[in-house]
Amino acid sequence: MAHRWGMAVDLDRCTGCEACVTACRAENNIPTVGDLQASRGRAIHWIRVERYFEGEFPDVKVNYRPVMCQQCDAAPCEPVCPTYASHHNDEGLNAQVYNRCIGTRYCANACPYNVRFFDFFNPVWEKPMHLQLNPDVSLREVGVMEKCTFCVQRIAAGKDAAAADKREVKDGDIKPACVQGCPSKALVFGDLNDPESEVSRLAESPRGTKLLEDLGTAPKVTYLQGVEHA
Amino acid sequence: MSQIFPRSANTISRVSIVGAVLLIGLLLGLVYELGASPWVTRQYVAREQPIQFSHERHVAGNGIDCRYCHTSVEQSRFAGIPPTKTCMNCHSQIFSNAPFLEPVRASFNSNKPLRWTRVHDLPDFVYFDHSIHVSKGVGCTTCHGQVDRMPLMWQNSTLQMAWCLDCHRNPERNVRPRSEVFSVSYQPPSSQHEVTVNGKTFTDQVEMGKALVAEYQIQKLTSCSTCHR
Repeated sequence: MAHRWGMAVDLDRCTGCEACVTACRAENNIPTVGDLQASRGRAIHWIRVERYFEGEFPDVKVNYRPVMCQQCDAAPCEPVCPTYASHHNDEGLNAQVYNRCIGTRYCANACPYNVRFFDFFNPVWEKPMHLQLNPDVSLREVGVMEKCTFCVQRIAAGKDAAAADKREVKDGDIKPACVQGCPSKALVFGDLNDPESEVSRLAESPRGTKLLEDLGTAPKVTYLQGVEHA
Repeated sequence: MSQIFPRSANTISRVSIVGAVLLIGLLLGLVYELGASPWVTRQYVAREQPIQFSHERHVAGNGIDCRYCHTSVEQSRFAGIPPTKTCMNCHSQIFSNAPFLEPVRASFNSNKPLRWTRVHDLPDFVYFDHSIHVSKGVGCTTCHGQVDRMPLMWQNSTLQMAWCLDCHRNPERNVRPRSEVFSVSYQPPSSQHEVTVNGKTFTDQVEMGKALVAEYQIQKLTSCSTCHR
């Protein structure tokens, strides 16, 4: 049966350490634009940790929420793309084909989660930083959109490794960089079509909610949060 | 008042409309043909190498298996270019003083690799994996051609996306038994030539291909993110 990749994020476990953000940048060759361009809103983060403050000083509680592409089943970014660069692949991922993208930015405008980013510049890695580039991920040139792929290169590698061993992909075989980097195991990745997988179990949890669920985008990322009783 | 246009202007206008359409069609056709021609794709163009290494000599002449030099083809995305040590395994014994092989000895003694010219170079946004193709029954010669008849290596396919998709959509036309993947003398089944797989004899490539697609669980992967990421 075809895979359907999904993620669960346990907000009660997240400490807001941003290890996922760092891991993602390293894995996916995400360019840094500098402080001036960042102040103009041109910074690129495939995953970000949002902070929410609760209560008044000094009784403040901070809540963190890692937000990456929600890989919606009914993705608003897809039908607006005139070149099919933004499209749904066989495994439910909202894939972005960089060499097809012409940079209309319609998808970023359509996305309610603000997780699509435009490359305003050609990426630059000053020597010797270029040595840390991941050869499994293509560099995006100026004028295209980029976004979280659920580390599609790792999914492909996991499937190829399983095929070489002549077996099915096991739950936990494939871990995107953010999941691998999370020290508190707040992020869980897996196949939603496999009822035995941990992510399927967590997606069914009564603690689970989807981000901006009532927009009808049918996200494949579930946020888990305990209800506090006063 | 006299007419501005003579009667013949009707004919001229008709001819020029048809002519313009034909001209545009011709130009588009020319661009399409040029784009797929060896002039652009460098198909069938033999490349100069630092040493005129002959695959014909080593494969057909000496019968060396592909994997003796391209060691990682079964485990890795890349088939691998051999280190000079692999050359010297034999050439420290045979033709050890041939002047032709001086660059190999120089490379070996100075510990500096030979700089081969890459023949099959895909664009950087394409991620091709040798290991999965080999394990699913795509033979070396299916893409690389009759390497045993290439004195100097050339690219036998266009390496254009249409060529990739042609096989990804219809894998049964090209797959062969796993045992024959590294064979350069393998012939696909035809009415004159029978191929036996698991005790069954086939005389038709598509018929055998369909059986192998089922047995090897070959998927028709045509999603963009299969190769582009």
